[in-house]
Amino acid sequence: MLETFVVVGASLAGGTAAVTLREEGFDGRLVLVGAEPELPYERPPLSKEYLRGEAPFEKSLVRPPEWYREHEIELRLGTPALRVDPAERAVELAGGERILYDKVLVATGARNRRPPIPGLELEGVHDLRTLADADRIRAEIAPGRKAVVVGMGFIGSEVTASLREQGLDVAAVEGFQVPLQRVLGEEVGRTLAALHADHGVQTILGEHVAALEGSGRVERVVTAGGRRLDCDFVVVGVGVEPVTDVVAGTGVELDDGILVDELCRTSVEGVFAAGDVANHHHPIFRRRVRVEHWLNAIEQGAAAARSMLGKGSPYEEIHWFWSDQYDENLQYAGHHTGWDELVVRGSLEERKFVAFYVTNGVVQAAVALNRGRDLRRSIPLIRAQAPVDPGALCDEDIDLRTLVAPTI
Amino acid sequence: MSDHVALRGAEDVGKGGLAAFETSEGRIAVANVGGRLYAFDDTCTHKGCSLSEGDLDGTVVTCPCHGGEFDVTTGEVLGGPPPEPVRTYRVRSLDDSVEVEI
Repeated sequence: MLETFVVVGASLAGGTAAVTLREEGFDGRLVLVGAEPELPYERPPLSKEYLRGEAPFEKSLVRPPEWYREHEIELRLGTPALRVDPAERAVELAGGERILYDKVLVATGARNRRPPIPGLELEGVHDLRTLADADRIRAEIAPGRKAVVVGMGFIGSEVTASLREQGLDVAAVEGFQVPLQRVLGEEVGRTLAALHADHGVQTILGEHVAALEGSGRVERVVTAGGRRLDCDFVVVGVGVEPVTDVVAGTGVELDDGILVDELCRTSVEGVFAAGDVANHHHPIFRRRVRVEHWLNAIEQGAAAARSMLGKGSPYEEIHWFWSDQYDENLQYAGHHTGWDELVVRGSLEERKFVAFYVTNGVVQAAVALNRGRDLRRSIPLIRAQAPVDPGALCDEDIDLRTLVAPTI
Repeated sequence: MSDHVALRGAEDVGKGGLAAFETSEGRIAVANVGGRLYAFDDTCTHKGCSLSEGDLDGTVVTCPCHGGEFDVTTGEVLGGPPPEPVRTYRVRSLDDSVEVEI
């Protein structure tokens, strides 16, 4: 009898998993369940090209609509899964449908954090994750309008840049001293703060938002320091949390997401997870990593699909992502939590550099601004996890590719 | 009859090398794969970054901005986000210059 695989989450990870299952020859019943009404799509343009009206949504689709018909994928879109029941091997959907599965992949992603700020419910206060969110923000965009962006993480920074490029007045408020401080550190963050300031953004750093005020609709943002920022609308970007509701209480182990091994398997037989929701054991960094980026959604979605087919191999991708802001190209590769040395090749001031996060002489991660070639050349170095001379890392005359010791 | 444009200096692109040249047709990149030259549009079809600022590995050029991969011999997308292939050009190596057919 043919097997049934259910993919919960018609996300980039879930969509890529469905594509991979068919490409790898799975000919059983395949059901793709999504809370959003759209077919699986890529989110990076939502804060950039799509938000600025430069690219149509269709360009973001993982596959065109006919592909799902041709490959006999049963779609349940706009239908959130309520619960995965491993005991009965069933997925329960909103509306009452119950689908029996042989294997299930949970790719439910993450949801935006809602900080406890008074006034968050006012009209004109937005956050950004879905197409519908992006459309709401797009409807607010008009030259000369005033926006306040709360939080200068990746999404906040990209939205800030896109809104400025559309001719809006933008104030950006960040609780840390610089944008992306927690991820990239103070030195790199300072460079990014200067970038936004140079583009005419009013950056308010080291200050928390105390309240959003207005009658019915937001009119101003008040900071803890007492600053009052008048505005027409607000975009809040203060991070995400993994969506694990469907497996809560089922025996699937959770800890900042769904715990999976290097084959994307959860603690419960037949249940797999991938993408933003999956907290995976990384064989190279030898620790748990949960990644919220585009490439991981693709690669881990595909890896989980192969694992479901019994063709899995350890998922040990060196995580990599980009963040385009204005005309600048920021990229990051690897994974670091702390670091004892930041080694810079190039110039932070000139915004052309690659910076290495080094712990015990080993490069854990690298970030580059407008030096993509060197960032890509850093990836084998990160994968090697071998000590490197910091003097060589910052020496422009040394090709980074020569610093990787040959593996014996 | 087809037209040709000269790529001044392309004859100096060494093995494994990658460089771009301004022409009347826009920026054209040249890759030297084992002594043979391949020419293609320097502009990535994803976001317009310069492919010659990326890396060449065998016949694969990787875009420096978002990691798009193209086969320099065919222009085909091998990986990453580019939505379509890059245009490739037939290369004609003369005694002391290189031309591409447009």
